[in-house]
Amino acid sequence: MFKAFAKGLSITLKYLAPGNTTTVQYPKERCEIAPRFRGQHRLVPTTDREKCVACYLCPTVCPAKCITVESAENEKGEKYPKVYEIDMLRCIFCGYCVEACPIEAIEMTDKYELANYKREQFIFDKERLLKS
Amino acid sequence: MVNLTIDGKQVTVSKDATIYEAAKQAGIYIPVLCYAKKLLPYGACRVCLVEVEQMKGRLIPSCTTPVTEGMVVTTMSDEIRKVRKTVLEFLLVNHVVDCPVCDKGGECDLQELTYEYEVVTNRFEGEKFDLPTDEVNPLIERNMNRCVLCGKCVRVCDEIVGYGSYSFINRGFETKIATAFDRGLNCEFCGQCVSMCPVGAILPRPFKFKARPWQLKEVDTVCGYCGNGCTITLGTKDNEVQTIRFNDETGVNDGNLCIRGRFGYSYVNSADKLTSPMVRRDGQLVEASWDEAIQAVSDGFKAAGDSLGIISGARLTNEELFLLKNYSKALGTENLDHSGGECYKGVTEGLQETLGIKASTATFPQVEKCDAILSIRSDFYETHPVFGMVVNQAIRRNEAKLTVVADKLGKFTKLPNARTLLHKPALELNIINAICSVLLEEGLAKTDGLEGLDDLKKGLKKFTAKAVAKETGVDEEAIKQTARELAAAENAAILLAYGLPYTAYSKELGIAAANLSLLTGIAGRQGSGLYLCGEKANSQGAIDLGILPGAKGIGAQQMLDDASTGKLKALYMVGEDPIASYPNRGMVEKAMDNAFLVVQDLFLTETAAKADVVLPAVSFAEKDGTFTNAERRIQKVRKGIKSKGDAKSDFEILQLLLSAAGKDAPATTTDAFAALTAETSGYEGITLDMLGKQGYVWGTDILKPVTSKLVAVGGGEASKSKYQLLVGSALYHSGTVSTKAKGPNAVVSEAYIEVCREDAAELKLEEGDLLKLKAEGGELKAKVKVDRRLPQGVMFAPYHFSAMELNRVYTGQPVIAVEPVK
Repeated sequence: MFKAFAKGLSITLKYLAPGNTTTVQYPKERCEIAPRFRGQHRLVPTTDREKCVACYLCPTVCPAKCITVESAENEKGEKYPKVYEIDMLRCIFCGYCVEACPIEAIEMTDKYELANYKREQFIFDKERLLKS
Repeated sequence: MVNLTIDGKQVTVSKDATIYEAAKQAGIYIPVLCYAKKLLPYGACRVCLVEVEQMKGRLIPSCTTPVTEGMVVTTMSDEIRKVRKTVLEFLLVNHVVDCPVCDKGGECDLQELTYEYEVVTNRFEGEKFDLPTDEVNPLIERNMNRCVLCGKCVRVCDEIVGYGSYSFINRGFETKIATAFDRGLNCEFCGQCVSMCPVGAILPRPFKFKARPWQLKEVDTVCGYCGNGCTITLGTKDNEVQTIRFNDETGVNDGNLCIRGRFGYSYVNSADKLTSPMVRRDGQLVEASWDEAIQAVSDGFKAAGDSLGIISGARLTNEELFLLKNYSKALGTENLDHSGGECYKGVTEGLQETLGIKASTATFPQVEKCDAILSIRSDFYETHPVFGMVVNQAIRRNEAKLTVVADKLGKFTKLPNARTLLHKPALELNIINAICSVLLEEGLAKTDGLEGLDDLKKGLKKFTAKAVAKETGVDEEAIKQTARELAAAENAAILLAYGLPYTAYSKELGIAAANLSLLTGIAGRQGSGLYLCGEKANSQGAIDLGILPGAKGIGAQQMLDDASTGKLKALYMVGEDPIASYPNRGMVEKAMDNAFLVVQDLFLTETAAKADVVLPAVSFAEKDGTFTNAERRIQKVRKGIKSKGDAKSDFEILQLLLSAAGKDAPATTTDAFAALTAETSGYEGITLDMLGKQGYVWGTDILKPVTSKLVAVGGGEASKSKYQLLVGSALYHSGTVSTKAKGPNAVVSEAYIEVCREDAAELKLEEGDLLKLKAEGGELKAKVKVDRRLPQGVMFAPYHFSAMELNRVYTGQPVIAVEPVK
């Protein structure tokens, strides 16, 4: 019995030793983010506009129905998203939008600190998504 | 019938079917790009290749190969799959894959086939097309980089529409679809090519980047414009009609539409539509609640007593008209009428007097099988464009002989082998009389059992072909030939359209056409028919439901006349804008000023602006009900979007008015339909369930005449003036509502006076110049449109545009004598 007791405690002690702890002292310390982590979205910009062409595949595939797109025609006659909004409160970060995008115009970043004070602030519009 | 085996399944089809059609009938799927049900087989895309046991060694295109007895067909094998995939690879060599920005994405035939055949790589290399897109016109956008050269647009424009905008140009890899001289598209913009294109090469421009096909909710309803009664499918999203979708499953129009039906929907979403009732207080129209407005209407009508007139439009549903009729009874007035009163008299009085019926005798699809067709006065390609396409089918598929009695040329006169009896304005009656007299003279007439033959013979004495030919300027032999063709034809049709701009001789023309149909035996004969087609979506319904003056009542013109002199105290206008569209504007305006006026309409029209109470109504896309089209087909109108603001459907408004008058009203449109069928002659026993995809034709396909009475009618009188003005409707518009729609307005947005080349040269006028015309009653001013279709001395002006004030000089006369002012 004592032997088993010692064995168990040894594991505990092992994790007490420096360098072996799993607790991270957030926000002083931060976890390492996996390369395929699905954080807050980002719209990819090009030189003069967003890469997105408002094909409506992301709002169509989105299971949480949190993406709002409204397409329009710009001065050059190109299709562009006049409105592109993601409601982060509804988003489930499944990444289907990224997968559906035919031109890789939307990505998921490693940002996960999305807390905010007001509901409206969780709605990310096009400008905010482009900057992030 | 022919028996064959497709994929092991025994199929029996008619002997003129193709393998593709046989497979479709058996429920076996064969992919196609260039096939369309209504077009002739073409075989351009090579996607529908199949194997036929009897023709081993090569693959057979199923859409062009007729079936033969004992044929054994295989529609799928490894080889077929390989070949079809190769065909798709070839197509994708040049096709730009811009599906994310292409509006066709999601319903593109090429996209679907590419997905089905898993064409993920391409073994062939080639340059992608980089042709300029055609975005010159406001309605149809062409991007030839996406074209797969199926030729459907070329064929539909030629075979169905009869316009011929497109053709293939160049050779080999350079082949493309182009317009004349490869310029921007400039046609009548019916958009048939848009509906046919299997890819995104031809798209509706008003719908550009608006939505994806899968986001749209589709609602089948009936077009709210003309009496043709085409079924349309609304594509709705965000409580707006975004576009009109292609649908050849419902109705009898095979998915064919004209510019009005396909592009004239935007008024439904208009922000200018009335959203609140208005009541006049201290001389100003101010917004009011429904209770206040209904109270004001009830009080006003009570004060007027039986000195009240009700004029309705012909775009109300049958149910609404039924309620309106009940309301008129509740108010105790028989002064009830629709559509200006005069124009429909050919049906209600002309046909009633001769044939004892008040409707066309046959249905539209029968015209396709006709051998001889006589079109009187109007060019159906302009008033009822889709019926025009049916006539075109009869000519092309059945070699029908078309005769057009007209005072101006038009698209009908350009059809193959069309004979035009181009007469001096106002003399169409004389020509029909002459045709009748030729029939009698040459012993071609079928006179058995006809009443009034002697009277007719007497009446026709002065209308010999020779005399009429001289009087009207038409070739004598052509008149005789027409009579002979009509008499000899196994199936024949006589067409006559009526509407607000054609009020003159309306009854007489109805009688003359009926005489001719009796003498030729067309009326009531299987396969033949006499068609009197109303201008508006429910013109026939209004007649069927008796929106007509009662025995003691007066008609629309008399009501307005009386109101203008103060004899009639109150007027109730339901969906009509008489100031803009009725003849004799001066009198109408006076009537509107004098009477206690209630207007129920979509917009604050000129008439509504003079009203004491304005009740906001809703468009056809916002209500349920039924329309009866010009061939007596009752079809369902379905609600696509919710009404905006406080506007209510005419049905709901009339319910309120009826309960204010202390009467019961049917609770729903379904109840109203049940009630109206019980009371309307011809509608007995019809239930809503009987209105299937093709609607329901009351009185069966052939409506037999009740009486066969010939009635002699006199002729018209030509004007001696050097310059004469004709009033009519133009292709791009229908009534006055279409002038509030962006599509038709994008092509024709303002009034014009059409002048022939010779006159233009003589008057030193060029396209776009301002022409002033002096006529009795006032002056007209509009831009000139120079054309080749008018005879010298004859000018034409459409009546749709109120700003021109054409109805100041148009008071219902057949032709207006005018004088150009320098």
